[in-house]
Amino acid sequence: MSSRRSSRGSISDEEINELISKLQSLLPNSRRRGSSQASTTKLLKETCNYIKSLHREVDDLSDRLSDLMSTMDHNSPGAEIVRSILRS
Amino acid sequence: MAQCGGDVSRHRKAHLETVESLCQGLLDDDKCRAMFGYLQEWPDLGSMCYNASLGEPPLAPEASNGSGGSGGGFKKRRPDACLDTKGESNSVCKRPRGKQQPCDPDQMAAAAAAAAVGKGKPERARAGAKKKAELALPKDSPATSASTVTAGQKTDYIHVRARRGQATDSHSLAERVRRERISERMRYLQELVPGCNKVTGKAGMLDEIINYVQSLQKQVEFLSMKIAASNPVVNFDIVEDLFGRQLSQVACNPAALAAMAMPIGQVELSCLQMSPLPAGSPGFGLEMFVNSNPYSPAPGGAMSVPAGASVESCLDVGGHKSVVFDMVCGFPAAAFLNLWVVFCTLLQVHGAAGWDIGSQSLFTGFDAPFQSVQSE
Repeated sequence: MSSRRSSRGSISDEEINELISKLQSLLPNSRRRGSSQASTTKLLKETCNYIKSLHREVDDLSDRLSDLMSTMDHNSPGAEIVRSILRS
Repeated sequence: MAQCGGDVSRHRKAHLETVESLCQGLLDDDKCRAMFGYLQEWPDLGSMCYNASLGEPPLAPEASNGSGGSGGGFKKRRPDACLDTKGESNSVCKRPRGKQQPCDPDQMAAAAAAAAVGKGKPERARAGAKKKAELALPKDSPATSASTVTAGQKTDYIHVRARRGQATDSHSLAERVRRERISERMRYLQELVPGCNKVTGKAGMLDEIINYVQSLQKQVEFLSMKIAASNPVVNFDIVEDLFGRQLSQVACNPAALAAMAMPIGQVELSCLQMSPLPAGSPGFGLEMFVNSNPYSPAPGGAMSVPAGASVESCLDVGGHKSVVFDMVCGFPAAAFLNLWVVFCTLLQVHGAAGWDIGSQSLFTGFDAPFQSVQSE
């Protein structure tokens, strides 16, 4: 991967830049940078952190849902709904 | 030694090339170039490297020494060969190398990565053979270069291996470093993102990463919606208001489940919008089943029907009983209406693309989320 020459016609630089900017747009703190050039490394790092935080958030939300369900009356329909949600 | 000195004194460029070729670890052409550039900035480095390499064997036994690796090492990674005949191998190695010799891409990448990053990618070290003249960047004193041959992996400065034939200016050097950093991060991301291992190539991986991030975002959004939606559902007051006392009965009596479905038609659309969702989305779903109550039993009727049967009958209306029933039968006491509310919410979260709001019956439209859920 380090040797990405133009000989690889299948992957052009523009495509990569496009993907990078797309990724940048996904990130929450995507500031309006003049060019993502200098921050490609940072971008990737931010992506790593973002993915990790998303993981944590998903886990947290799932836990909350589980807790929510546990605090409710187990026989209540609401609990069933939540259980169904967690099941899906 | 003598030759080193001679080289140095003779011709800077030649000397650089020589030294560079000596640096066996330089398997990457880019590295060589960077090395050239680097060496140019450090006139003494070459000689020092020479001396270091020649004077004492590098810390890594097989590494022999950075400089020891002559051009032959580039392709074959044979420190010994390099070590022996620096002068000859120099000429031999570097000349044939040319400018764009990719050498061994894997080795190059590995060595380059290990060298350039300098942050300790031991697995990339490809044995110490690669770790030849690890010339630290200008920010480091050349004296430490030798010591960094083996410890280079753990040091915090960046080692860049200039590849022969490549540009030797500092820009390429920095570029190489940058590229290595990016590669490192890409590798890390590759581990983080599942399924990324099957894809090779930067573009493919980036694509995977983008998809993964998007799916994670959707998942988070979905879960948030679920939590938000489940809250009002838990609060039976709301439901009771909507459906009168029947729901409270349902809560304790599954048999009354069917009854719950009956009053649905009476539900005010606005009442159903109890979740914090925008008015339109959950509304349309519920509206569906409000307006097109597929089963026309008299409101309030069917109280005596057993929950299972009633549910079945209700589900049967739209002909989609199997799908919905599978969901419902899991919890006979489940409030069917609540389920609908929630699922409408879910639909809204998912954009309800599958909903055929038109004049479809409740179950038809309702089937979409169920099916999607089931299929997942």
